[in-house]
Amino acid sequence: MARNPLRDKVAIVGIGSTRYGRDLGRSELALGLEAAVAAIRDAGISPGEVDGICGTGMTPLAMGGAGFLSLQGALGIERCTWGKNGWLGSALVFTVEAVFSGLCDMALLVQANVRGANMSRSAARDPYRARAARYADVGGDVGLGDFAKRWIHSGEPYAAIMRRYMHDFGVGKDAFAMMAVNCRAQGTANPEAILRHPLSLADYEASRTIWDPMQIADMDVPCDCAEALVITTAERARDLRRKPVYVHAMSLGGTRIGEYYENFAGWRDNSFQVAHRGLWERSELSLADIDLFYPYDGYTMDAVAITEAAGYCGIGEATDLFRSSWDASRNLLILDGRVPVMTGGGGLSQGRAGGANLYAEAARQLRGDLGERQVPGASAALVSIGSFFHDPSAVVLRA
Amino acid sequence: MTEPDDLAVFAHFHDVRVDRDNIAHYRGLMRSRLLVNRCNECGHWIYPHRPLCPECLSFSVEPAEVSGLGRLYMWTLIHQSRDPDKALATPLLAAAIELVEQPGLRYLSRVVGCPPERLRHDMPVQLTWIEEEGRRWPAFTPLDMG
Repeated sequence: MARNPLRDKVAIVGIGSTRYGRDLGRSELALGLEAAVAAIRDAGISPGEVDGICGTGMTPLAMGGAGFLSLQGALGIERCTWGKNGWLGSALVFTVEAVFSGLCDMALLVQANVRGANMSRSAARDPYRARAARYADVGGDVGLGDFAKRWIHSGEPYAAIMRRYMHDFGVGKDAFAMMAVNCRAQGTANPEAILRHPLSLADYEASRTIWDPMQIADMDVPCDCAEALVITTAERARDLRRKPVYVHAMSLGGTRIGEYYENFAGWRDNSFQVAHRGLWERSELSLADIDLFYPYDGYTMDAVAITEAAGYCGIGEATDLFRSSWDASRNLLILDGRVPVMTGGGGLSQGRAGGANLYAEAARQLRGDLGERQVPGASAALVSIGSFFHDPSAVVLRA
Repeated sequence: MTEPDDLAVFAHFHDVRVDRDNIAHYRGLMRSRLLVNRCNECGHWIYPHRPLCPECLSFSVEPAEVSGLGRLYMWTLIHQSRDPDKALATPLLAAAIELVEQPGLRYLSRVVGCPPERLRHDMPVQLTWIEEEGRRWPAFTPLDMG
């Protein structure tokens, strides 16, 4: 077993979320601040107690947007001893490592997402969104004039990878369809879900093709939203008002192929596989102990590959697993006869929060106060967020 | 034919982030040559354009012309343009071509001279050049099996 000194030492103690809306008409920073203040209030602390901030962004030190510098200034926090931007899986992992290492004692994690001009055509028509996109620093060697650079940090290769998956394993789109339908069924119980009406397998099949073979039902829903968490040591968590949710073990995967996605490392060596191998080498809890599963669903291809990387089945075997795990009366995936997948609906139903909604949903479930959609007795969750290429997390949270 | 100088490369590729690590590649494109960095020490091909060989950590890296032969590793047909004002008349094909020089050495490009329904994983292809708004770009076409 790998060394895991952070076991149960760091906890989530405050959670704050904004509304989710197709067009909230507010800046990324404004959304981030609303979630931040809600999380701080939920934790029952004052902003002055925050001494570390993980803001939103692909560039760890970038200014602007809902980056940590802008958040700190806007929240009027005088002193921080740690700050960095993260997104997808990295945000939580960065924040927990900072608290664990002692760089800060009370960290605020803020992930604000807006419907980007590159995510929908109507967003590209919005002058505010278009201007933001033109000056966005995507942190890579990007030149849109050169077709060969088109797949740097792009979604299109996921469609090509999806076709390659079907070719390599001799399967159709069943696993992708079941994941999409499952998330939409889960979303019907979430009042904040953007797409709250259920999707049938026939609806999936009929949905519009965007990047053949990928259809719109395979893609998460661009929206405006923000999520925030307050993270502190287990010791301090005991004195705070909310029931702590502990970080049991985590891992942040990385491979040498992080930018030019045509160089996809293959089924055995991609970042999801690396992240989950790293997690299970550290975790005392195993898959059999997991009650809730949150595989990031930016595209259904991600969620399918994460399910395999987590170890619920072998590589390329998700189709058989999902068929035998399918509850046709409710259109839900139930793994091992008991584990629901993506309560809250994930990105495919609730909306695209870069996975931050999965952390928030898992933590709320583990606090046990989620009302109608509470899974009774849930005590451990596996949350895996990120891409085939860069910074996917694999995190076990427990009550 | 003289090599275009740096300023000519920057002017020609006005919408590309040309830098010291990739300028030789773009200079090559202006003369219809597809150049990929190669390690002088161990012969490893290095792409994307980077100045260090990841196999032997040598900085002695030089752009070399590839044979232009490869196989179709994966592709997608883009039905919807990101630009709301530029609808696609026909779907746009984006294809990752695995070059024969080295396993995993892939170049993102177009495939021409083949209807999308005839594309197959791992089919052999060869380099050709296409004209687009006054510039020549690499593309691939099914290998003529003669």
